[in-house]
Amino acid sequence: MYFVLANSFVSPEPGLVIWVAIAFVIFVVLLRMFAWGPLLGALEEREASIQESLDAAATAMKRAEEISKKNDEALKEAEAVAQRIRKEAMEDAERIRVDRVEKARIEAEKMTEQARESIEREKRQAMLELHDHVAELAMKATEKILRAELDAKKNKKLVDDFIKDLSKN
Amino acid sequence: MTRVIRFFFLIGIIFIGTGFNTTVSAESEEGAEEIFDVTTKLGDSNYLDFEPIGKIQLPRILISEGSVYFFGSTYSAIASDLFTDAYYIENPDAAESGPVTYRLARTDGGGITLDLSITKHFVWFLLSGFLVLFIFGRLANKYKSGIGRTSAPKGAGMNFAEVLIVYLRDEVAKPNLGEKHYLKFSPYLLTCFFMILFMNLFGLLPWGITPTADVAVTGALAITTFFMVNLNGNKDYWKHIFAMPGVPPLMLIIMIPVEILGLFTKPFALAIRLFANMLSGKMIIFSMIGMIFIFATKFGTGVGLGTSPLWLVFTIFIYALKVFAAFLQAYIFTMFSALFIGMAVEEHHHHEDEEFVAETKPLTT
Repeated sequence: MYFVLANSFVSPEPGLVIWVAIAFVIFVVLLRMFAWGPLLGALEEREASIQESLDAAATAMKRAEEISKKNDEALKEAEAVAQRIRKEAMEDAERIRVDRVEKARIEAEKMTEQARESIEREKRQAMLELHDHVAELAMKATEKILRAELDAKKNKKLVDDFIKDLSKN
Repeated sequence: MTRVIRFFFLIGIIFIGTGFNTTVSAESEEGAEEIFDVTTKLGDSNYLDFEPIGKIQLPRILISEGSVYFFGSTYSAIASDLFTDAYYIENPDAAESGPVTYRLARTDGGGITLDLSITKHFVWFLLSGFLVLFIFGRLANKYKSGIGRTSAPKGAGMNFAEVLIVYLRDEVAKPNLGEKHYLKFSPYLLTCFFMILFMNLFGLLPWGITPTADVAVTGALAITTFFMVNLNGNKDYWKHIFAMPGVPPLMLIIMIPVEILGLFTKPFALAIRLFANMLSGKMIIFSMIGMIFIFATKFGTGVGLGTSPLWLVFTIFIYALKVFAAFLQAYIFTMFSALFIGMAVEEHHHHEDEEFVAETKPLTT
């Protein structure tokens, strides 16, 4: 029966309370020094480094995005410039073409004019020559008529012949 | 097959750990009284019990009549003739032969001021402390050498420990103590958690003792929390107790005593909760196993043997529950310590809900 009464669960043994309290405080100090301090420090450090890496990655990403955006812009600009240059070139070409055509037309016109002039001149010369020739022929015919004046019939025949000759020529 | 082996292994563990410890004096010679005594096994003692191998006597330290006495064991204390077992003083005609109740008394009739003996519970308490120190000291060295500091943690043990530590830091310390204070109190909370957890789990080992099933141990832990709270309490905290803002002066006459009472009830509740949970679990296991012997003495050995599987199933169930409770109670003690410290160091008070939250959290299993 003594065993049963010896232990009363709800009455704390003061000696044990003192020991446990002292020992617990010592354990807290020791554990803080040798276990939790380094442990928590290491965890903190690791977390900080992870956070740093993440931040760095985010910054790098942002920068990359910026660069890409800039590149896009540059590309767009370059495209616009190219477009403009092409348009200008095309305009230039068109202008040159028009110029050339105009020039050619003018040239052709000039040539035609020259040709016309030269024809005109030739014609005039030919007319002049013809005139001379006709005059000469008339003179020759007159001479022949005069020579064959004796015979009107003959004369007539001569004139006819002459004209026939003339038309033959 | 392995399941069956595991089942019998578990039963074996329970038998070694708890079954054989129950004292059944059913075969007492006079047959006068049948004592089924589990209390000696659950209470503290001045020896380590490794039945049936033997007992290890623990040193006795006594403060009596202004001087300190130190003895290697209770036997040497009795042999010194200065002290004797209280049993022999109460029964003067009994022949003196070794300690009976282990309660020492002076032979000359003087009083004992304080019994500072090293007891079973304190030894297991120290064991838990050194185990935590050993395990986490080694882990800390690992971190110091670089694993886990710059690289990922390696191995199951490290990962598991880290899960618990980070959980306690981020889910217990940080929300209750705030960003500013949590690192300062984390070591205390971590020590609380792991030492209590180990002490709780010790009771599940063969010959293991749960020091937290002793109100003296949990009381001492609660006292440290009490000091952690009140030594770190800031101006707001004390103002809240002695001159609660927004309360009419007449009400303060009632409020101040209530608040002062509250200072002590918080750690008291901590101590009782942990102690009662741990003790009850152990008690139920003893009682369940004891049912076999009670049935055997009341209805015969056959009935005792026949019903034993039923009691074993109950015991295993309680056993599993105790594993859960070991973690839960360690967590709850830590959680509430963090909460109370957090209330003391918090800078901006929200008068309406604080106390209320502390009192209405789910408490026990």
